[in-house]
Amino acid sequence: MSQSGSQTIEQATTAIQVDAQPDNKTRRYDRQLRLWAASGQAALESSRILVISATATSTSILKNLVLPGIGHFTILDPKNVSAADAGNNFFLNGYSSIGKSRAEEAVPLLKELNDSVDGEAVVKRVEDLLKTDDGKQWIKNFTLVIAHNLPNGPLETLSDLLWEELEDPPLMIVRSAGFLADFYIQFREQCIIESHTETAPSIRLTKPFPALQEWADNLDYSKVDPTEHAHIPFAIILIKEADQWRAEHNGALPNTYEEKAQFKKRIRERVVKIDEENFEEAETQAVRLWSEKGVPSDIEELFSLEPLTSSSSKQTLNPEFHALLKTLHAFVNSPEGPGNLPMSSTLPDMKTDTESYVKLQRMYKAQSAIEATQFKELLASKYPQLTIDEDMVDSFIKHAHQIKVLRGKKYGALEADKDAISAALQAWPSDTATTHFALNALSILLEKNSDPTTITAETLKSEVENFVGQGVDIPEDLDNAVGELARSPTADLPNTAAFLGGMIAQEAIKMITKQYVPVNGWCVVDLIESKTGIVNN
Amino acid sequence: MTTVNDDATSSDWDGRYYHVDQVLNTPGPRTEDSFQAGDAVKDFLRNQCKILVIGAGGLGCEILANLALTGFKDIHVIDMDTIDISNLNRQFLFRPKDVGNPKALVAAEFIMQRVPGVKVTPYFGKIQDKDEDYYLQFNIIVCGLDSVEARRWINATLVNMVDEENPESLKPLIDGGTEGFKGQARVILPTISSCYECSLDMLNKPTAFPICTIANTPRLPEHCIEWASVLEWPRVHGEKKLDTDDPEHIGWLYNTALTRAKEFKIEGVTWSLTQGVVKNIIPAIASTNAIIAASCCNEAFKIATSSAAFLNNYFMLIGTEGVYSYTFEHEKRKECPVCGGESLDITISKEWTVERLIEMLVEKQDIQIKKPSLSSGIKQIYFQAPPQLEQATRPNLEKKVSELVEDGGEVTVTSSTLPFNLSLRIKYT
Repeated sequence: MSQSGSQTIEQATTAIQVDAQPDNKTRRYDRQLRLWAASGQAALESSRILVISATATSTSILKNLVLPGIGHFTILDPKNVSAADAGNNFFLNGYSSIGKSRAEEAVPLLKELNDSVDGEAVVKRVEDLLKTDDGKQWIKNFTLVIAHNLPNGPLETLSDLLWEELEDPPLMIVRSAGFLADFYIQFREQCIIESHTETAPSIRLTKPFPALQEWADNLDYSKVDPTEHAHIPFAIILIKEADQWRAEHNGALPNTYEEKAQFKKRIRERVVKIDEENFEEAETQAVRLWSEKGVPSDIEELFSLEPLTSSSSKQTLNPEFHALLKTLHAFVNSPEGPGNLPMSSTLPDMKTDTESYVKLQRMYKAQSAIEATQFKELLASKYPQLTIDEDMVDSFIKHAHQIKVLRGKKYGALEADKDAISAALQAWPSDTATTHFALNALSILLEKNSDPTTITAETLKSEVENFVGQGVDIPEDLDNAVGELARSPTADLPNTAAFLGGMIAQEAIKMITKQYVPVNGWCVVDLIESKTGIVNN
Repeated sequence: MTTVNDDATSSDWDGRYYHVDQVLNTPGPRTEDSFQAGDAVKDFLRNQCKILVIGAGGLGCEILANLALTGFKDIHVIDMDTIDISNLNRQFLFRPKDVGNPKALVAAEFIMQRVPGVKVTPYFGKIQDKDEDYYLQFNIIVCGLDSVEARRWINATLVNMVDEENPESLKPLIDGGTEGFKGQARVILPTISSCYECSLDMLNKPTAFPICTIANTPRLPEHCIEWASVLEWPRVHGEKKLDTDDPEHIGWLYNTALTRAKEFKIEGVTWSLTQGVVKNIIPAIASTNAIIAASCCNEAFKIATSSAAFLNNYFMLIGTEGVYSYTFEHEKRKECPVCGGESLDITISKEWTVERLIEMLVEKQDIQIKKPSLSSGIKQIYFQAPPQLEQATRPNLEKKVSELVEDGGEVTVTSSTLPFNLSLRIKYT
């Protein structure tokens, strides 16, 4: 019997199976699609990345971007492979690469990691490109620019260039020497819909929509049989209990510790037989009643954010996102609206029977569809001239509780601000800022004199004191950082390169996919202490 | 064909180690006095040190490349897996033509081709195939594994191997792990620092769905998939083992789960979800593996060279929201069954049966012993194997623990998959 039963299933669904089985591309990218889905993958595939220099660190970064499938990369590097490069860079052909173009040797070895990625070597100096309009435009046409250990002069010119227009690509600055490193992302604004934060969306227990309220109202504990009793979803239990509490407390929900304990006790007392897991769940989930807000405070803050607008062209940056954000503000303030963020259709699991759960899920879905329609009508009336991709609107509604906006600063903003320098040096742990400033000093000194033997702990220290200025206390940790940099001022260690390769690629993926939250500020890496830290600016 | 490019020393062209030598020629401000800057440390690293890499997957590929570039020349690698297409998004030593071939062999060959003078000796098989003599030959062991079970085994094996009379028997174990944008790297000095077993409770609890939910009240697509794999597969296919790498088997599960989902009006059963649930797939990307592998290799380099102090003892990274990391010393657990020596006190109801106790041992976060066997002194309480002993002790499953063990009595728990004994001191409420 069972055999024939299963065959029926198989026969009946063969067509589905053929369609559902993933293609080779999906199989290849399976482990990453589970993180950023098809939308993130599409963004990666249309990205074009410029990497300045083909150092061990640069090729490590690229490896981690070619593997997940960016669209295109260009390595810009005028240098030839040295004996040292051939020893520390995995994407060169060892001894046989020595004397050949570093970019041209590295590109094929990176391209072979993924057939669908296009790569190009450009054997030019960035300083020369930065002198011509064509060169500048060429740089601006990339999605993202990454520079490793670029001397300060051309780095500042590059940073200025990529800060001219609002829509210029982000610039990732990476510096390393020996066990120490830091990096910074220069960007104007990063608008994130899918931040993947772990905050759960509200399920409206304090403000139930009509269908949900009706279910709770119609529930009469005295009339349900024991099986049903053990299957009432916690959402309904909590709504009902909250109603009763409010009726007895002038409309207020439990507020003090004692009241909350009392509320939970009432739920416990509803249990009629042992092992009623739904009531146990209601007790642990009761926290939702006093923690769920109509609009979480971090979203509320975004409502006062004005879009970045170019003074020359009057163009707005990320206009679609800001239109959606303004619409969201109007939605929560609308008298017809729920006074909440729009309902997300994702319902957490609850200890209940299939029928109740599916019923509840459908209610939430129906309500979420109603609110999505309200939102879209509001959007259309506020922005009749704007066409926004339907998927983006739906995603915004679904993830409204986890949207984020980051505003970045130009490279050098920290160093230009004496108060910020002083604050960074006072922050804990103090060695984060001292390492960062020591790396600044190293970069300044190496630009003045490229001979690494001129780098000593003393010259580094006095350079730090020089730009930090008088009257600012520099923590003693600086001695460790300058000592370490003097030990290995030009070392691109394979492990440090690999570590940075992973870090920068993670951040690049976040910038490109606009999913997850990139770092804003200087990230400092100390591989002696095996730790990272952030210097805010 | 396994070839080594040239003899290990002649392939060291002038300037090859320009970068690494900067930290080997000079101590830094925080370097310990034991550091033998210059030729001595280079000779040890490049000509004497023997290092073992366990796992040639996501972390393993990265670890092998980093070790080779930093100057380790005698590297061994163990992996029991063959290459799958889904490995290619991060396991960068493999190409589509390598699918189906053993990871250890392909990875070793690739490293030797790319980094001349490095010898990588692969073993395609299980870590459990090797004995103490094998593990004793290495100076350092680096693990890039995705299995908790394998980590527990190597950890316990290395702790057991420590002989106080012989300092060479203590092998530093460096362990890395990743999940999505998160990961951790740690250094374990067996018997001296906290071991892998000490931190079992830090693991994410595996999502287990109660059988009654799967059988009677499915609500989520996952419940339907579990029903197909746990209940329907054995019912329909009898003895035939489910192979989660076989697309036909996944196809059958997917269709069976989908049919059940339709029956219960549950949405969301997809091929990808089916595969994810039955294979317990953990998202994995090249960049996170790169960070964690680099961290592991950096510690291996510091231990081998003393050029800087090594990690004491845990580095945790969360890259989902900005870059957050936490470096701390994980404490030893006194009642750790591997390195602690003290018995674990547990308090249970007098009414508990042996079966209920076993259930707890399987589930409890800091124990998690699959198929435990129990004895008290010379008394056999329950043994999973051999079959005759299992049969003889089976009636005890229904007996109350309190009938077999007195209050405050000790119970020894063993498991065939793990080389250690856990001793419990039982108290009754």
